Amino acid sequence: MHTFLQALILGILTGGVYALMSTGQTLVFGVMRVVNVAQGMLVILAAYLSYTVHQDLGIDPFLTLLIVMPVMFAVGVGIQLAFIRPVKRNRAEAGFEQTLLIMFALAVGIEGILDLVYTSEYRSITTSYANSSWTVGGYTLSVVRVLAFALAVVLLAALWLVLNKTGFGRAVRATVQNPTAARLLGVDTERIGALGMGLGVSLAGASGAVFGLIYAFNANSSYDLVSRLLSIIVLGGLGSVVGAVVGSLSLGVAEAVVATVSPVWAPFTFLVVLMVVLLVRPQGIFGAVERGAL
Amino acid sequence: MRRRIASKRTLPALLAAAALVAGAAACSAPGDPAATAGGGAAGTQAGTKAPLVIGISLSLTGDFGDTGKAAEKGYELWASQVNKSGGILGRQVQLKIVDDTTSATQVVTNYESLINEDHVDLVFGPVSSLLTVPAARVAARYGYAFIEPAGGAPTVFALHLHNLFLAQPAPVLDLGVSFADYILSLPASERPRTAAYSSVDNPFASPVVEVVRQKLQAAGIKTVLDQTYPAEQADLGPVVARVVAAKPDLVVDGTQGEDGYETIRDFVQQKFSPKILFMPNDASDPVNFPAQVGMGNVDGVFTADDWSPLASRPGNADFIKAYLAAYGGTASQIDPTSAEAYACGQLLQEVAQKTGKVDNATIISTLHAGTFDTIEGSLSWNADGATNGTSGLLLQWINHELVPVYPSADAAHAPEIAKPAWGE
Repeated sequence: MHTFLQALILGILTGGVYALMSTGQTLVFGVMRVVNVAQGMLVILAAYLSYTVHQDLGIDPFLTLLIVMPVMFAVGVGIQLAFIRPVKRNRAEAGFEQTLLIMFALAVGIEGILDLVYTSEYRSITTSYANSSWTVGGYTLSVVRVLAFALAVVLLAALWLVLNKTGFGRAVRATVQNPTAARLLGVDTERIGALGMGLGVSLAGASGAVFGLIYAFNANSSYDLVSRLLSIIVLGGLGSVVGAVVGSLSLGVAEAVVATVSPVWAPFTFLVVLMVVLLVRPQGIFGAVERGAL
Repeated sequence: MRRRIASKRTLPALLAAAALVAGAAACSAPGDPAATAGGGAAGTQAGTKAPLVIGISLSLTGDFGDTGKAAEKGYELWASQVNKSGGILGRQVQLKIVDDTTSATQVVTNYESLINEDHVDLVFGPVSSLLTVPAARVAARYGYAFIEPAGGAPTVFALHLHNLFLAQPAPVLDLGVSFADYILSLPASERPRTAAYSSVDNPFASPVVEVVRQKLQAAGIKTVLDQTYPAEQADLGPVVARVVAAKPDLVVDGTQGEDGYETIRDFVQQKFSPKILFMPNDASDPVNFPAQVGMGNVDGVFTADDWSPLASRPGNADFIKAYLAAYGGTASQIDPTSAEAYACGQLLQEVAQKTGKVDNATIISTLHAGTFDTIEGSLSWNADGATNGTSGLLLQWINHELVPVYPSADAAHAPEIAKPAWGE
């Protein structure tokens, strides 16, 4: 029982980190109908940024977010303006395949640059508290994971507030639900798309800094993330922020708990859950059949 | 020796890279006057002193880029040294190194070009078993001897190629044999009573752990956990928790890549310090292992490798001196892959000294007939190219330094059986 509960705690904490990554990805899909297969690579790019800032300036990795998130926001807006908008303008909804390939090409390009700059050696962001843990009621809580989970909660709460309590959030939700109607009502959907992309990528930025604290990484680490993040947002429902959070926690808990019984079956378990959900509810747990799940 | 193999995560990158570089590779191979400088075929004509051209495909970019560059240093160091001393049989050695971008497709193209278009006299092997397998097939097809530095996986020897020779003291499978032998050499009172075996499902990790488990279990050390986890396991926390819950005296941990670093971190966080910890792969990296897990957490950890700057082997000191003069740094920063590549050259040199010839048929027959001293140890081979009757070095982190501790002939320090607590 102790092992099970320990795994449950670990799974929830890990799920929080995945929630940060996947909400950004699902937001991008919701706003722009772009399957951002580069999200994993953007997470790793942010991890390198945080690593560099921490190494060169001695700033605590959590504080590097003050630099990394704005930079990644700019990266996201830049991607939208330079690559996505021209395709969307030319072919509107029909640009789905092109944007998928564009994001894949971006991921490969970023990977190549990171390999050149940082080589393929593994890096990790090491702090004085990196190996510290608290023991509560006989259960071990990694300091880094708890802080990462807390950060995820704060940022996701902030995202919820932005989406639900601000004019920008209303415009985002309107764009998600019906972009044509939103345009008719005066919403600049292209601007919203760029800002939405920036927001999604800045969340990748936050999760990247956390990722680098918990795991060693190199440019190739993104490939594991891509499949996981896609699975999470498909399970939760494409475009649904709540779904991304639920999917992330499901992934974290399923893998952690099953691994205590048999590590061999841990990654497979989540895929079984995914298959069952898609058979019963093809749009995912919180996904809508039509647009407008956010 | 960092044993590398392409995992699922690397395949998309490999495919993409292969497509992107196909043109670039073509530019440097066929029809390029610079590429054929020295005229390999001419070098084989009796009575001439044309350069001895050796073709090599290395992963200078891509996933194995760092390892490839380390091999390049070893090869070039050997060539420069041998040329300074007059070359081989009076012929200056000229290396023709081309980049395979860590692509199993490109490596085949490269060796085909080196042999058929550049007409190199000899070839040496690439890095990693992944690339050695297709490359060795090409070399065998054209009757070239294939002395290779870093293809030690069972898949390489399963090819049953008579022309292949691994320049390492032991194939990957035997990497843990020295550790098992050392444990079994301990008096019964000092031996661990229980052991946990945990490994990622990887051809360079789980077979090594399995060999150790079989030997120790047969000797009466009780197995309290034997688990293999898939390479796709995202978070090792639960996997490590099972090891901790088993409370073993000895942990044999077959990690690969970043897994080893995460495992140590999880051990520290879960406040579990096994009495004996053997990590055959990741802990052998003298630079990255302490950087990733913290220097305070390395002491006592056992690991294994094929080469160490401190190993008592003929020529090792000279190699290190020359390496540091050429590339700088410290001895502990030398990648064992450089030593493996250097040893390939040493083998060729010894064949030439013994026979007075350097043609491929002579190299193959001579290497199969004797034992050869290199900085990788005294090497001889079975019919499939795997090294005979030897095992790798058992290394241990002692006083923040990675030192060979077993077998005693190669040892620079006696092993210390009790691992200090984390952070000490």
